[in-house]
Amino acid sequence: MSKSIFELVDELPTGGLTVMSLNALDFVIPGQWQNIVGFDKTIELVTGTDDPDYIQAIGERAVALYNDKSEGYQTAMWLYNTVDSGSRLLGAAAIANKVGQNFSMLGFLGNITPKAETAQTIDLSVKLVAEIVAFCQINGIPGDSVGDFLAALGDYGGESLMRMAALVCFDGLIPLGPDFIGMVADKMGGMSPKELEGNQTFKGIKDQIPGGDTGGKLGFITESFGSVSGWMSDFVSSRGLTPQKVVGNLRNFVEITDDKLDYLGAFLDVSTNYYSHTGTQTLARRLIERAAAEM
Amino acid sequence: MIVSNWRKALLPILLSVVLLFSACSSKEPSKYAQVQKDTTGRNAPVAVAKNAEAGGDFNKFFPEGSAGYARVFSQEKKGFAEAKLNKDGKNVAVLSISDTSSLPATAKKYEKSISKLNNYPLLDEPALKSTGVLVNNRFQVKVASRDASFTAEDRQLWLQKFNLGGLSTLK
Repeated sequence: MSKSIFELVDELPTGGLTVMSLNALDFVIPGQWQNIVGFDKTIELVTGTDDPDYIQAIGERAVALYNDKSEGYQTAMWLYNTVDSGSRLLGAAAIANKVGQNFSMLGFLGNITPKAETAQTIDLSVKLVAEIVAFCQINGIPGDSVGDFLAALGDYGGESLMRMAALVCFDGLIPLGPDFIGMVADKMGGMSPKELEGNQTFKGIKDQIPGGDTGGKLGFITESFGSVSGWMSDFVSSRGLTPQKVVGNLRNFVEITDDKLDYLGAFLDVSTNYYSHTGTQTLARRLIERAAAEM
Repeated sequence: MIVSNWRKALLPILLSVVLLFSACSSKEPSKYAQVQKDTTGRNAPVAVAKNAEAGGDFNKFFPEGSAGYARVFSQEKKGFAEAKLNKDGKNVAVLSISDTSSLPATAKKYEKSISKLNNYPLLDEPALKSTGVLVNNRFQVKVASRDASFTAEDRQLWLQKFNLGGLSTLK
């Protein structure tokens, strides 16, 4: 039986690697993200009320909305979780690849595991698409509407903005370097549907991606990334973000030994779940806003 | 003999201790356990009424942004539409229209309303920092503060900017 929304929010960690890594990104979006844990706590913070009767009523409505599968909230949660699982597998494979490269005896690993760069490129693009699809599941608007998502992206704040910041820093800058936007555009442009089909993150959520067959889905993913790349580019340049800056700040929060630097992106993929952590917080917030408005 | 009696007395004591510990360590059910039970499973009721108005039909009745306030549509679901009101990039209020056919208790609370806006019952809920009106006994139009700078007076002002007459024509 899948967990209830109040359990999911109550059980969010208050510490640990994911939370530390996200705190390390505060310099990117200062003060924008607080690690809000607890269903009732979220209701209090979103609505400003501490009246227990109102909290109970709002909580009950939010629970009912979440449990109605046709409302799309569970699909969004599933997307966030599946993306994190795919990333974990990808990270583990990338680490195996790196290990294979470092030890000649294990060189065969480099042949059977996908090249880290290609896998990371697909991971970033698919995560972005998952964000668009989850956004539409939660907030409505037709699932195909990249344009509407772009307008809303300008208004992203709090945990949603933190998820995008982490996407840019942990899944873009760190594994792919400062030219990640151009690199992703190039790779996606030259990619075959078969290459995409081999990717774990894509495999997990492909049924939710618009576009029909894999070729069509590849087109949607490429177009989505192209549309958001302007926003990403501004995000990076306006803050002077570089891989060095991000790693430097991360090291203030998380112990990263020099030998891990080579595959830090993969390490983060394996040991953090920033996507589903902040995704749960985003989902709870939207549910509670709707429940409070409908009271 | 004494030893045997001592052992006989031990058993109920041990049982009581076990029961005491299990009672102390068993978790109290969540206050949402009942609603969780009622809204999951094959025969669970839907959360949104079948004939609820599509959220997209509400959008045109929202006020435009003005006087330094930007309006950004944020949610559009069956029976519900919401927009944020932002000032200087900060969210200060939330505007919404919802179809109370999904939640009859919402419409019912307007029975205790003592004031009106354009002839529609008006209700201020300070504990929720929100003010609403009920149009045609069905559609709740609400403005909720999200910042201390957005007062109850501001909420009424923005309620008046909705096209309530237009909304009342929705069947």
